[in-house]
Amino acid sequence: MMLSIILSGFLVATFLLVVAKRITALIRSFRIQAIFLSLYALYMGLSQRHLEMFIVCGLIFVLKAIVIPFVLLRIIRRINVEEDLGLLVNPQLSLIIALGFTYLSYLFAHNAMALTDPVESAALAVSITVVCLGFFIMVSRMKAVAQIIGLLVMENGIFLAASAISGGMPFFVEIAFFFDIFVFVIIIEVFVYKVNRLFTHIDTSKMKSLKG
Amino acid sequence: MLIASIILIPVILIVVSLLVRQVKALGVINALGYAALFVVCALFLIDFLAHGGTPVNLWGWVYLDSLSVFFLLITSIVSFAASIYSVGYILAEVEEGKISTRKAIAYFQLFNLFCLTMLVVPLLNNLALVWIAIEMTTLISAFLVGFHNVKESIEAAWKYIIICSVGITFALLGVIFFYYTSSKDAGVKSLEWVSMLSGSGMFDPKIVRLALIFILVGYGTKAGLAPMHNWLPDAHSQALSPISGLLSGVLLKISLYAILRFVMLANLSVGYAFSAKLFVLFGLLSVAVAGTFILVQKDFKRLLAYSSVENIGLVSLGLGFGAFGGIFAGLLHAFNHAVTKALMFFCAGNAVRAYRSNSMDKMQGLIKVMPFTGIVLFLGLFALVGMPPFSIFISKLLILISAFQAKHYLIAIIILVFVGLAFAGLLNHISRIVLGNVPQGLPVQKEPLSSKLALIFLGTFMLGLGLSLPKALVDLLVNCQQLILGK
Repeated sequence: MMLSIILSGFLVATFLLVVAKRITALIRSFRIQAIFLSLYALYMGLSQRHLEMFIVCGLIFVLKAIVIPFVLLRIIRRINVEEDLGLLVNPQLSLIIALGFTYLSYLFAHNAMALTDPVESAALAVSITVVCLGFFIMVSRMKAVAQIIGLLVMENGIFLAASAISGGMPFFVEIAFFFDIFVFVIIIEVFVYKVNRLFTHIDTSKMKSLKG
Repeated sequence: MLIASIILIPVILIVVSLLVRQVKALGVINALGYAALFVVCALFLIDFLAHGGTPVNLWGWVYLDSLSVFFLLITSIVSFAASIYSVGYILAEVEEGKISTRKAIAYFQLFNLFCLTMLVVPLLNNLALVWIAIEMTTLISAFLVGFHNVKESIEAAWKYIIICSVGITFALLGVIFFYYTSSKDAGVKSLEWVSMLSGSGMFDPKIVRLALIFILVGYGTKAGLAPMHNWLPDAHSQALSPISGLLSGVLLKISLYAILRFVMLANLSVGYAFSAKLFVLFGLLSVAVAGTFILVQKDFKRLLAYSSVENIGLVSLGLGFGAFGGIFAGLLHAFNHAVTKALMFFCAGNAVRAYRSNSMDKMQGLIKVMPFTGIVLFLGLFALVGMPPFSIFISKLLILISAFQAKHYLIAIIILVFVGLAFAGLLNHISRIVLGNVPQGLPVQKEPLSSKLALIFLGTFMLGLGLSLPKALVDLLVNCQQLILGK
């Protein structure tokens, strides 16, 4: 029961990301999603009585709900970017596409992977949906910040998949992944500033000097 | 001991680059370091083959079999050549005032970090750590792609980070599916390759097939397979020339190495035939896309980048005809391409410096402006399009033979058509660069000694392997073929 609520919350947060039209709304929804992800890890920790899972939960909360949103907000504050995300697909249509992905992921988890446990199957369906929608956000929003968040959303989905179907990765692997995400965010921040300085915008659809 | 020094040498060089403040001295020390690395890898290869190619397993963290040793060898050769070439290249950049001394020192730090991450990949046993190391190669080399901080290079670096990170995220999903079936069906709750291999007979074929597709799309993005190759021409053309050589020569192959590790895990459940089909599909697409795009290029380094897509496609096709000697041919081609393409990019770096432009319309008569580079570029051109007596001729021929032996006649003909297109495109473009009329008022240019040395070093492999294949390399490749086929 508790698990279903957490999974639903996670999915709803993803839908919020899909319909967001402004950068701050996107970051806020990302934070909500990260909180649900850490709740999921907390639940797993409680049910499996694994100390490691509590550490993972804490790390998710600190890294994804506090540090990363902070870095993203710092980016938009420093470069004074317009709030508009530059949607190539409007929110209504995005939501319909998101629902389509959700249904397809459900079919995928149900048929292709043939998981017997219903909760496991639902968790996998949610995680595949989130991976797909993260990708969708990356390709259908013009601002560089949306591409960063899209990628992080994909990683959240993969984290859920890993703990849903295989009971979590080995502990040191999880830690290594956190390190990787941290490095990614730090480095991408540097590049956003560089893009902004040279192009005076962070609109990736207008980056067209390289062709062919 | 030898294995430890493979990691230690780049680490020591990073420390050195934090201490030495003089660019030339730093470059020379760097090149000496990679010379040592090359010797270490060669010694290790000899030692390894003397023990009959038995895998080395250190505490479950480091695992080296023939495949890892082969990719280490490629990495050490190309990075040695790049380190020699860098000496003169970076010095000239500083003298021309394009970069400051501080930035030149930063270059050597990044160079070593980049090589370190690439050297680590074949050593690791844990597939999650392999994934992280490959992601790190992207993040570090992005700085080297966007090194000049101009619009084009930053755009290329941005695309490079984003596209490759997305690709590799899909690969992570594939890793997790492998882990899932390994822990559920085979009871191996570990991401260590050796342990997973021991249980791979019990993997669920349905999940393995799915996982393998994700792996091929994901790591295939980084390997430059079409249709996920979009980042490649941008990044390779904008990176500094020594780095372009490393990207084309080593980075693409390192991702291929990761793919092969998973193919080996999939053998016992879905058989090599399934992986072979995927290799053929992506290989054919790459050859077709590259063969077409090569014809219309205007930028010299982009032309070479598309040729890399073509060649990685050929390697993939070779792997696809695996059961018929294709793996041997494909891996040999990977080696030959690494050496030849690095040589071509180094020549391109010299040419770009002489003409102050990447555009092939402005680059004419290189043989008069830079005689040595011009001649090497011309030889490299013949090697690249697959003329005898150069090494690529042999590997291309072997790939075609394996295609015929696998009775893929139609595919073999399609390959021939597109390889022919690429042949015509490269010959047309590059012969004009070498032989055309020199633009007025362009004097004969100085070619740094270091770039000549780097070209001679790579040229030896390019020509030497075409004349005769050393027994050590043949043994190593035969071992690899057996490993990959799971025999």
